[in-house]
Amino acid sequence: MRKLEHFEELETLRKKVVAQRGKIRSTVIICGGSGCQATRCLSVIDAVKKEIVKQGLDHEVLLRTTGCHGFCEQGPLMVVEPDNFFYCHLTAADAQEIVSSTLKNGKVVDRLLYTDPLTGKKIKTEAEIPFYSAQYRQLLKYNKLLDPCSIEDYIAAGGYKALAKTLTGISPKAVIEEIKSSGLRGRGGGGFPTGRKWAEARSVPEDEKYVVCNADEGDPGAYMDRCVLEANPHLVIEGMMIGAWALGARQGYVYVRKEYPLAVKHVKLAVKQAREMGILGENILGSSFCFDVEVARGGGAFVCGESTALMASLEGKVGEPRPKDIHTVKEGLWNKPTVLNNVETWANVPSIILNGSGWFASKGTRGSKGTKIFALTGQVKNTGLVEIAMGTMLHDIIFKIGGGPKNGKAIKAVQAGGPSGGCLPVSKFDIPVDFDTLYKMGSMMGSGGMVVMDEGTCMVDLAKYFLKFLQDESCGKCVPCRVGVDRMLEIVTDIAEGRGSREQISLLQELAETVAETSLCALGKTAPNPVLSTMRYFADEYAAHVDEKRCPAGVCKELIHYDILADKCTGCGVCLRSCPHDAIKGEKKTVHAIDEQICRKCGICVTECKFDAIAVV
Amino acid sequence: MQTVTLTIDGSPVRTAKGSSVLDAALEWGICIPHLCHVPSLKDTGACRICIVENVRNGESKVTASCTLTAQEGMVIRTNTEKIQKFRRNIAELLVAQAPNSKAIQDVAVRCGVKEVRYPFRNDNCIQCGRCVRYCTEMWRANALGFVGRGKNRRVEFPFATRPDFCKNCGSCTLYCPMSVTPCGGPMKRGEESLCGKCESQTVTAPGMIGACTRCDLGKGFQCTRHML
Repeated sequence: MRKLEHFEELETLRKKVVAQRGKIRSTVIICGGSGCQATRCLSVIDAVKKEIVKQGLDHEVLLRTTGCHGFCEQGPLMVVEPDNFFYCHLTAADAQEIVSSTLKNGKVVDRLLYTDPLTGKKIKTEAEIPFYSAQYRQLLKYNKLLDPCSIEDYIAAGGYKALAKTLTGISPKAVIEEIKSSGLRGRGGGGFPTGRKWAEARSVPEDEKYVVCNADEGDPGAYMDRCVLEANPHLVIEGMMIGAWALGARQGYVYVRKEYPLAVKHVKLAVKQAREMGILGENILGSSFCFDVEVARGGGAFVCGESTALMASLEGKVGEPRPKDIHTVKEGLWNKPTVLNNVETWANVPSIILNGSGWFASKGTRGSKGTKIFALTGQVKNTGLVEIAMGTMLHDIIFKIGGGPKNGKAIKAVQAGGPSGGCLPVSKFDIPVDFDTLYKMGSMMGSGGMVVMDEGTCMVDLAKYFLKFLQDESCGKCVPCRVGVDRMLEIVTDIAEGRGSREQISLLQELAETVAETSLCALGKTAPNPVLSTMRYFADEYAAHVDEKRCPAGVCKELIHYDILADKCTGCGVCLRSCPHDAIKGEKKTVHAIDEQICRKCGICVTECKFDAIAVV
Repeated sequence: MQTVTLTIDGSPVRTAKGSSVLDAALEWGICIPHLCHVPSLKDTGACRICIVENVRNGESKVTASCTLTAQEGMVIRTNTEKIQKFRRNIAELLVAQAPNSKAIQDVAVRCGVKEVRYPFRNDNCIQCGRCVRYCTEMWRANALGFVGRGKNRRVEFPFATRPDFCKNCGSCTLYCPMSVTPCGGPMKRGEESLCGKCESQTVTAPGMIGACTRCDLGKGFQCTRHML
């Protein structure tokens, strides 16, 4: 790769790549993101590649392996341009047919098309699928356009244009003003206005400053940052470069979890390519601006997503937070002014510079501008990555994009914002999703996890799950978080196991408030949210556990038992054979019975029974 | 010496620039209970006993006073109902965790704990980090450190063996709040209770709440005023 010496060379390269691509008749886009790799997309990619060569189409057809398309539920998936046919649930065996009919003759392969679960109809193109059409994909739209391992792809798609624009004519102050007036707020959870953060860091009279990209996403069920970094690492780097220009920083760090191997690989490769091209390093594109990025791998501690803990970890110290009475924009990494933003925040920067703050601010609500990516998971039909304009109704996200409940059970609640967020009941779904509304409702945007739960979820059990997670992930430095969360877990476990009392519920409330107010860092301060929000919206479930010693959802093992319904049991013996503990007795063709002394309440018999003859009481 | 003036509980307090709110208050005889703070060591804000309200633009924020640097015009409240409640709850957590210490029992009394609503656990360490910080910062020995995370975090020698560079100076034991047992002697497992016998010590003149009386409780929880 030749080093680019001037801005004009970037433009020349862009034109050259676009011209080369002009000869291509058809492009096959296959998702190679982590989600699809789990469903073996690599074998599909391999098979399609071989098949294209075999059928002699390799000069006119381009195969592009991209990052996540968002609809992970349907993976491995493929889009065939120019007709934009959308194929899903692919296997390597489908390659031959795709190449011979679609690529050669332009015919659609019906059996591979997506079937709308509501209407049962086959849908040809991505744009017609409700999951996609109800979204507003401002950041995710790039994922399809480029191979994350190719800097040429990024440049052809208009990459580094914003950087060139910044370096050739926007003063650092003007960049900050632009970000300020765009109303961009941090996508990592806190929602702090990005422009203000930059301005504060800029105002500190220090020569050395740093920019950091926080890619230490650790919420259960959230993978937005992972996918953005996997699919479009150059976009994040470009955002960081513009930030660095605005602050006067010469060094940036990407702190990415070790558990995200593909993200680590892609971002490292992107940095290498950018260095070779002269986009990172000394005198970038012939200007006086010098900047470099280093990729640091995190060890997988949830607390290292907290800014001060992350910086401690970057410095090589134990990843523990420090008090934030002095902000990191004044004294951050190595006690120098540091701007730390989340992946998605950085990724939003280039398009703001390119299209102007007015363009960005035209979407969203009064306090929250732009779009936000959510990881929609749980008991909905369509799970995957969802990008919506701020202010979209929560109801629409779950029922229109998500397609409603998966297993026929009614949807009960959604946990927004991961373990630090809160649980919102279905009765509160008619709210616009933005920073302030969610916060007011006792939940939070967090980094954007959205776990949907149906009637089969017990809210006490949910609170227990998140407390267990936080107890494991607390660094243990301060008392309220280490001991307080542990005690909260103890109380919730008591309640879930039928030892709870009314006094314990009020103690739990008091303790939760203490932990929220007095903890050292944001992990502790938000740790009680799952408890507080479930107690607020599902007080009746807590009451049922405590007063009646009953779990309404039939989840808490200590409070339920299984019963075989005599009128439904046919004596087929399936449950008897499937029980791993030999707790079910009965002769063939007679009603079976469960020995409660032996039964461990694993629930296998319930799923195995074809006659719904086993009830949870 | 450069100084700053801040308001603590309504009284103007002048202190050296750069000192913490906790130090400023203690210097002026305002009692803020504290535990992990040791003069001359860097504060970490681990125990959260010394929490205060920092009032800014009409909004109050609860924060530890040991890690809060005093600034000109700052308004601090150390003894509001809210703070008393939180402090009591934290002290209750501590005494339930480690009742076998005079210091912890004294802190509990000082913070107004009347009953313990959690099952006692009888741990030997509350992870205030005094030993680790003294060893690291004062002696630069680094013979002690924290190992593990969350519930499993503990103080440990490097690789769990006493290294050569530990000179057996004993500072870690000296500064450990767990080294003195409650007046009635060590409590057996299952027989732990809240001591509360020194409650009379906390009585101060009306209107003087929060003023330091150099009470004997301070000795128990190794109050900075007794160490000065």
